[in-house]
Amino acid sequence: MSAPEIPTLRPERLIRRGLWLSGVGFLGLILVYVLALTYAPVEARQGLAQKIFYVHVPAAWSTLLAFSLVGIASATYLWLEDRRLDRFAAASAEVGVVFGGVMLTTGPIWAKPIWGTWWTWDARLTLTLFLFFLFVGYLALRAAVQDPEERARFSAVVGILGMLLVPFIHLSVYLFRTLHPQPIVLKPSAPSLPPEMLRTLLVSTLVFTVLYLGFVTARYGLALEQELREQGPDAA
Amino acid sequence: MLPEPPHNGGYLVAAYIVATIILLGYWLRLLRLARRSR
Repeated sequence: MSAPEIPTLRPERLIRRGLWLSGVGFLGLILVYVLALTYAPVEARQGLAQKIFYVHVPAAWSTLLAFSLVGIASATYLWLEDRRLDRFAAASAEVGVVFGGVMLTTGPIWAKPIWGTWWTWDARLTLTLFLFFLFVGYLALRAAVQDPEERARFSAVVGILGMLLVPFIHLSVYLFRTLHPQPIVLKPSAPSLPPEMLRTLLVSTLVFTVLYLGFVTARYGLALEQELREQGPDAA
Repeated sequence: MLPEPPHNGGYLVAAYIVATIILLGYWLRLLRLARRSR
């Protein structure tokens, strides 16, 4: 019995939907800035710089979500050899690098007034930087290998290895002595934040997730369109 | 009584501007690629 045919969405529709969804995400980002500046209270010891947290933490969430999904899609690709999974992994990796850029720039901007230094080579920061470079390498590998089958297999292995780093990064603040603050929401006990701060953080996390979904949808559509142009309708 | 919070709002503004530029820059890149592919 043959596998059921799954209809492939038209690339131009995916691109349009993705760009619209990320446009909605940008409106949400304005709301996040308003909430952070007017609704969330000023932290007594850190001052206004603490509000960088409402961008830095959701950016870290989107980065780790993106790279985890690259790993899951890559492992499933090696099993099923479905090109859609490889295309999704590539889109998610690129978007993850963008969010990683936000995480790795807003973090030091917060650290300077709070720690007195832009950067320190502790476990959490070093592992995160390593993960970022690993996925920059993933994108470079994809650009260097011409054969689509080889490109998909090689990059799937790198994607799975990258995903394995994600739980270490989350747990690094428990496993090692580190300057980085411990989790205040994703931890076994209840979130230790005032309700206004928690609500602002949750809204921001939702907005960054919408931005992730919008970017990935548009990027996937663009990759599909390019493949169809290069190889004809069989590529879908 | 708690001391007055430190005055470091400039770092907050810088972080929000940098984050917006990176995200908006990527969105504009996608938009440009979409227009080119038509």
